[in-house]
Amino acid sequence: MNRISEDIIKEEISGGSRRSFLNISILISSAVVLGGIIYPVLKFLFPTATTVGMGEIETFSMSINEIPVGSAKIVRYKNRPAIVIRLKEQEIYALSAICTHLGCIVKWQEDKKELFCPCHAGRFDLYGNVLGGPPPKPLSVYKAVVEEDRILIKEV
Amino acid sequence: MNELRLGPILIRNRLLIALYNFVESRLGIKEIFDLEIFYKLAPSHLGIFSCFGGITFFLFILQIITGTLLLVYYVPTTAHAYDSVVHITNNIPFGWLIRGFHHWGANLMIITVFIHMGKIYFHGIYKNPRELNWITGMVLLMTTLSFSFTGYLLPWTQLSYWATVVGTEIPSAVPVIGDYIKFLLRGGTDISQVTLTRFFAVHIMVLPAAIVIFIGMHILMIRRQGISGPL
Ligand code: FES
Repeated sequence: MNRISEDIIKEEISGGSRRSFLNISILISSAVVLGGIIYPVLKFLFPTATTVGMGEIETFSMSINEIPVGSAKIVRYKNRPAIVIRLKEQEIYALSAICTHLGCIVKWQEDKKELFCPCHAGRFDLYGNVLGGPPPKPLSVYKAVVEEDRILIKEV
Repeated sequence: MNELRLGPILIRNRLLIALYNFVESRLGIKEIFDLEIFYKLAPSHLGIFSCFGGITFFLFILQIITGTLLLVYYVPTTAHAYDSVVHITNNIPFGWLIRGFHHWGANLMIITVFIHMGKIYFHGIYKNPRELNWITGMVLLMTTLSFSFTGYLLPWTQLSYWATVVGTEIPSAVPVIGDYIKFLLRGGTDISQVTLTRFFAVHIMVLPAAIVIFIGMHILMIRRQGISGPL
């Protein structure tokens, strides 16, 4: 075989691998470009503490005057609804307001001194215990203290 | 059959061919791909200035994507519009990037649209038989400018507020109906929540629908008539 035909054979062989090399390069670079587009978009859409609006605040505080004696108020504690009840002048209770059955928001019933869930008539007492209805677990209870004229709510 | 020719596209992938056959046997879509408009090749005399229509189209696609993403977080109320835009820019991961694309894409689109129009005008391409395409082009220009005008108000900054005050004041110079146009645009005597809401609605619903229809007509006419050379 002379040199020229040898070169041609080499050329053909390397030509084949050149094609697959180019194919792989195209594949990899398109994957990089596509990833560079998809990654920021997914990050953009995925909620984080800052995008939800607020980070976790450990202690929540509110003015005691916001709740008249005998009534209750739904507040936002750790990004979830909590119910704060002012039973007597200085006697405050705070519980998660999310019913343990299917997640409705419970209401305060002043006459019965009970928390009532309007969705399927679940009933709780002021310590979160289930008094009746479908809820399987007690409500989680928070610690509520009065300091001067402010109510502070903390994890127990 | 392990090769499939659809217009100018050659498909060798077995899976794609099977998928095509599945649809073809039910809907008979081959006729669509046989249409002449799929076979037009770009002539060799095209230069850089022939690309600006396509670049504008690319930017428009970018605007749709980034605009939809911004819509996820934007709040169209006078109380929260500015805060939500600041929130997108500062707090949302890559929010600055998405908003930056939307902002700069919009600015660039105005520039490319005018370069495109200049090319068509100075080369006399708008002449017979392409007058209809020139008209759809004019509609597209107006739509693009309306996009800019309505989009400008949405961040509810001082700049956008006063720009809209001035912009909606201009049509009131039209004799007789001028004040009615102003009243209609503002949805009242001055710029308020009503104005923001209607600008928002026009920006994200009315104009996109209009522009998609006219871009479709614009491109179909080009495909039908072929690309013109300089006269
Ligand atoms: S959700 Fe509360 S009782 Fe069913």
